[in-house]
Amino acid sequence: MSERISIFRDTRHLQILAVLIAAAGAGAFWVRGQLVPPDWGKSGPYRESALAQIASDPHILTADNKCLTCHESVHEERKDSPHVAVRCMHCHGNGHEHMKVAEKGDYKKPETPAAWDNKFPSKVDLFVTKDRAICLSCHMKVLGMPESFKSIDVAKHLEEQGAENVDSPDVCFECHTGHSPGIE
Amino acid sequence: MNSLLSILGQSASSGCGSCGSGGGCCQSSGQPHHTHGHHAHEHHSHSHHGGCCSQSATSVRPDETRRGFMERATTLVLGSFTLTLLPMMSGDEKKEEPSQTPAAPPEKAAAPPDPAAAAKGVLYGFLIDTEKCTGAGKCLTACREENRVPEGNSRTWVERYTHFRDGRVQVDLVPESGFHGSTVPQYDPAEVAKSYFVPKLCNQCVDAPCNQVCPVHASITSPEGVELVDPDRCIGCGYCVQACPYGMRFMNPETNNADKCTWCYHRITKNEQPACVEACPTGARVFGRLDDPESDLSKRLASLRTQVLKEHLGTNPKLFYTSLSDEVI
Repeated sequence: MSERISIFRDTRHLQILAVLIAAAGAGAFWVRGQLVPPDWGKSGPYRESALAQIASDPHILTADNKCLTCHESVHEERKDSPHVAVRCMHCHGNGHEHMKVAEKGDYKKPETPAAWDNKFPSKVDLFVTKDRAICLSCHMKVLGMPESFKSIDVAKHLEEQGAENVDSPDVCFECHTGHSPGIE
Repeated sequence: MNSLLSILGQSASSGCGSCGSGGGCCQSSGQPHHTHGHHAHEHHSHSHHGGCCSQSATSVRPDETRRGFMERATTLVLGSFTLTLLPMMSGDEKKEEPSQTPAAPPEKAAAPPDPAAAAKGVLYGFLIDTEKCTGAGKCLTACREENRVPEGNSRTWVERYTHFRDGRVQVDLVPESGFHGSTVPQYDPAEVAKSYFVPKLCNQCVDAPCNQVCPVHASITSPEGVELVDPDRCIGCGYCVQACPYGMRFMNPETNNADKCTWCYHRITKNEQPACVEACPTGARVFGRLDDPESDLSKRLASLRTQVLKEHLGTNPKLFYTSLSDEVI
C-alpha cells in the first residue's frame, strides 16, 4: 500500500508519453510538409515560383516601337508633332491579333496602302477610321483639363474655323491629319 | 526535438526497466492513501514494495508525489509541443524581412533612395503629375485590356476633383472612353474655383497593410517592392480588400481571388513600362527605378515637391504625386 510515486512506475508513463510526442511531432512535420509548397520561403514568406508565374502573364498591349518597325513612315510623319506621345493603339486599336500574324512572318507588307484592302490581316483587331469621336475622346474641352492642353468646344471651334461639313464625322480632317495634326 | 528525446532517454535509463508491473502495483496501492501526508507515503512504500521502490527512493527525491509527477509530465508535454512548433515559428520569422525593405521616404522625395535598397537590387517607384492629366481615360482601357480586368472592376481609375466657389468639393469618376459622349455632369465654369484630375493606382506601400493581414501568405512583396497576389494560394477571404486604405484591391469575380494593380509586374520585369504609362499620351504617369539615381523618375523626384496619399497611416507608399490639394490627400 504505497503512496510514493517512484520513477519506476513513472517510467512506463514516460515511455508512452515519449512515443506519443514523437508520433505527434512526426505527424506535425508530415502535415507541414504536405501543406507548405516546396519552394516556400526561398526569397521571402511566399511561394517563390508565384513571381515567375505572375511575370509570365501575356503582354497584350502593343507598344509603338513594334508598330513602327514596319510602319516607319508614321514615325517620320509624327516625330515633330505633339502626337508623338499618342500611341498607335489609341486611334487604331490594340492590334494584338495583327501583331501575332505579323510576327509569324507569313505576311508581307503591301507596297501602297491601297493594296491593303481586304488583305489587312486580322482587320477586326485594328481600325483606320477618320471619326471625330476619336479626336474628341481626348480633345473635348472638359472641366479640369490643364490650360496648356489643346482642348476645344466642338461647335465653337468649327464655327470659328469655318468648317464646311459641320455634321460630318471626319470634319476634323478638313484641316488636321492624325499623325501630324498641327496647322502649318 | 533531439534534446527532448535525450531528456526522456535519461529519465528512462535512470529508472529500473523491470519495474513496469511494480508501477501498476504502486498505483493501485497508492490510491486509498492519497490524502495521507508525506511521511505516510514514505512508510508504506518502504514496507510493501521492498527492493524495487527503495531503489527508487535512492535515485529519485523521496518526497516524490503524484502531483510532482503530473507537474513534470505536464512540463514535458508542453515543452515537447513547443519544440514541435519551433520550425513553424522560424518560418514566420522570415515574414519580417521584406517589410524592412527601405524605400525613399515619402514627402522628402528629394532624398536619394536608401542605399540598402539599391544593394538589394531593383526598386520601382511611380510618379503622377496631376498637372498633366487630361482625363482622357486612355490608361484605363489599356489597363483593362492588358490585365484582363473584368468589367465592373478597376485596377486603376481617374478621379476629377472639382472645387466650387462655395467651398464644396465634388469628385467624379472619369469615364473609360473619355468624356466625349459620357454622362458625367457638366458644371458651370463660373461656379468652379478649380478642377483637376487625380489618377489612382496601387501605392505599392513599403509597409503594406494588405500584405500583413493575409492569412495564407498569398500576398507577396516581390524583391522589386511590388505587392502581388499569388493566384494559386489566395483563398479569396477578402481580408486584404478591407485592409487596403486606398481601396485598391477587389475580388475578381472570374477567379474569385483578390486582385490588384501590380504595376504590370509581367511588363516591368521585362524592362517595359506598365500599360497605363505606355498608354498615357501626356506623360502624366511616370514609372521608373528608385534605386537608380540616373533614372528619369529619380531625377524628377529630386527636383519636384511631391506628396503621397494618406501619409499619416505610415504605409510609406512608393507612388508619388505632384501638387495635390489637401482634399485629395
